[in-house]
Amino acid sequence: MVVSTLLRSFSSKHEDPAATLPSSTTPLLYEPRPGELDLERRWPPKRAALVVIFGFLLLALFLAILIADLNSDVHANGNVSLATSGSSMASEPLKLVSRGVSAGVSEKANRVFACVNVVSFPWNNTMLSWQRTAYHFQPEKNWMNDPNGPMYYKGWYHFFYQYNPNGAVWGDIVWGHAVSKDLIHWLHLPLAMVADQWYDMNGVWTGSATILPDGQVIMLYTGSTNESVQVQNLAYPANLSDPLLINWVKYSGNPVLHPPPGIDSQDFRDPTTAWYTSDGKWNIAIGSKVNKTGITLIYSTEDFKNFELLDGVLYSFPGTGMWECVDFFPVSNTSIKGLDTSVKGPGVKHVIKTSLDQARNDYYAVGTYDEKAGKWVPDNTTIGLGLRYDYGMFYASKSFYDLHKGRRVLWGWIQESDSEIADVKKGWASVQSIPRTVLLDTKTGTNLLQWPVEEVDSLRLTSKVFDKVEVKAGSVVPLDVGTATQVDIVAEFELDKEALERTAQTNVEFSCSTSGGAAERGALGPFGLLVLADESLNEHTPVYFYIAKGTDGNLTTFFCADQTRSSEATDVDKKIYGSTIPVLKDEKLSVRLLVDHSIIESFAQGGRTCITSRVYPTKAIYGAARIFLFNNATEASVTSSLKIWQMNSAFIRPFRPEQDH
Amino acid sequence: MKLLLLIFLVQAVLLTIYLPASQGTVQPMDARLIEQTCKQTPLYNLCVSILKSDSRSSKADVTGLALIMVDVLKAKATGTRNYITRLLRGNLKRDVRHGLSSCADVYNAVLEADVPVAIEALQKGNPKFAEQAANDAAIEASSCERSFSGHSPLTKSNKSMQDVSSVAAAIVRLLL
Repeated sequence: MVVSTLLRSFSSKHEDPAATLPSSTTPLLYEPRPGELDLERRWPPKRAALVVIFGFLLLALFLAILIADLNSDVHANGNVSLATSGSSMASEPLKLVSRGVSAGVSEKANRVFACVNVVSFPWNNTMLSWQRTAYHFQPEKNWMNDPNGPMYYKGWYHFFYQYNPNGAVWGDIVWGHAVSKDLIHWLHLPLAMVADQWYDMNGVWTGSATILPDGQVIMLYTGSTNESVQVQNLAYPANLSDPLLINWVKYSGNPVLHPPPGIDSQDFRDPTTAWYTSDGKWNIAIGSKVNKTGITLIYSTEDFKNFELLDGVLYSFPGTGMWECVDFFPVSNTSIKGLDTSVKGPGVKHVIKTSLDQARNDYYAVGTYDEKAGKWVPDNTTIGLGLRYDYGMFYASKSFYDLHKGRRVLWGWIQESDSEIADVKKGWASVQSIPRTVLLDTKTGTNLLQWPVEEVDSLRLTSKVFDKVEVKAGSVVPLDVGTATQVDIVAEFELDKEALERTAQTNVEFSCSTSGGAAERGALGPFGLLVLADESLNEHTPVYFYIAKGTDGNLTTFFCADQTRSSEATDVDKKIYGSTIPVLKDEKLSVRLLVDHSIIESFAQGGRTCITSRVYPTKAIYGAARIFLFNNATEASVTSSLKIWQMNSAFIRPFRPEQDH
Repeated sequence: MKLLLLIFLVQAVLLTIYLPASQGTVQPMDARLIEQTCKQTPLYNLCVSILKSDSRSSKADVTGLALIMVDVLKAKATGTRNYITRLLRGNLKRDVRHGLSSCADVYNAVLEADVPVAIEALQKGNPKFAEQAANDAAIEASSCERSFSGHSPLTKSNKSMQDVSSVAAAIVRLLL
């Protein structure tokens, strides 16, 4: 009698008065009386009643299905606002397998820790307050992310940035603002723009500045509207004669750009600085994606209020996902000057750079720009955007042309790699890189050279020179400079030539991130520096070279930074970062490190390969932080010459009108 | 007679198919997006069972599915935090009490930082911050588990948090 039980519970739920149910004692099947199987005879009353009952049951069944459908509709719409992204699942199969190092994609290691230490929360205020940097840009508190609208205007360098005024995590984003005479000593100003319009109510996001020949300052930025649609908006200084550019006005006709057809409303952000074209118009680029293909759109404008979308894309690459913070600029392959964004012609190459949402890394390539066709082609088409500005923590970077000193300067957002609970505890998160000059590396032709701006040298205090220190295979040499939490290190290394010749070839492939770090010994490496190291080396961060001799007898040099032993804390990032680095014949191995509390910026071969590390030691802090030379190679000894400076603080603080002008 | 029998059988069949539908679960068509999405996560079965038992999933796109998973993360974190509070009222050994206090901080952080960031990032269209927040929630759960020198009274809860976090992060990854 299962069906009758079902029917009864059914009816009691939906209270359909039309349904009349048989009781449990009434047989549902009609038992034929002998001789009454002929259907053409008139039906007896009992049979008729049963037919009617079944008819009602069928009706009840259909009604119940209808009601069930309506219920689930109401439930869905009433409870949750589901942001409609409009994007369908990609029709091609989604593979989350990395394309590998050779395709320019680094392995994403998961932050899964081998539970060695059972240490519960070592974080105390002493440790946390040490982490704050002395000479890297950061606001007084709370969360920061992308650099915005960097520029030089009337004697001041301006820096804007994504800021959360309400906490140490991302959210409620507005534009912070600071100024400096020298890109190092920053003075905080009031917020430049807040989320006070419907078109940026859900976020005053990233944008870029363009300074027009007539002196106008154009700021284009992305707003997330009250309906979470990404649009581009125009803003300009309220008063061009105020060198501090404190107040900003949003154009009354905003937004100036909406997502175009075929582009998702949430895949349209981060407009670039504009460049002037031969047909007398300005072009800007905006990154986006179509399915999983990252693309760069170009728009043309004469007044920054009306835009025309150009056909096609400047460049695209399949499988890369969303392109954020696209940057597009010229570099000279004949001189060491920076170039204004609009420069083109002979002796000029163009660089496209994109921040890949999927990889959380910044990729670039050098190529050729065909203005007429609106296309850029990389010099190396197989790799596409294969090189990274920085193989550590460095994202959403943005460059600008510094008219004051004729150089191209790059900013990069350096996130925390500790846990968010620690960020909330310490009340802040993120710093910016020291601004870097960007030049084409004419020796290789493929890489860009990044180098800390020369103004950072003004922070150098006392120095100590170490000349030709020999570090034998498998040894560590302390460098006595006193406390080493704010230092600038310039070092050269020479491997003993005999060992280089004599070492056997190997076909074992090496990569920084999959290796055993500085503790894994090879014939010709690793060797380099141990920074933020305590006396007993319980905590240390090696920054080093590793040389591998391939099956063809050629040497490949790797430059790595190893965070595996950087801290005894268990809730911080402990990956190994790095990459190969081209080393030309007769070049010595050279490196520069800027150590500033919880950030280390490392530059090898004049900035051909860079690694930024965020580390959070618990013991190797304050007076306990030391520097060592190390050589963990099995075959070769290494000779190193270094100069190490103590670095002053940049005293980054709020602007004081009486004092600062 | 045979007609009646036929009607009866048809009804019985239809009922067994459609009774579950009356409780508002997912229709066979919408299950495809859920299955496709969950295949890209490390815990397919968990992902599917969570999403299918939430009626919102039948009308959701991938962002919507991510938001549902974050909601479940929030519910689990809330439940664990409440459980910790209850445990702390009892008579405990010092090291257990110490561990539980750390875990209370941890789960507060998940609810005050990770969850709101994930929701805001998904709703406003900047999903990478949601992925980071979900990953962070998993890390926080590990920290909690490690804060007990002996036996942890929260192993199941922490494992559950790690599992849901990893699924949420994987779904968000599809939006990048």
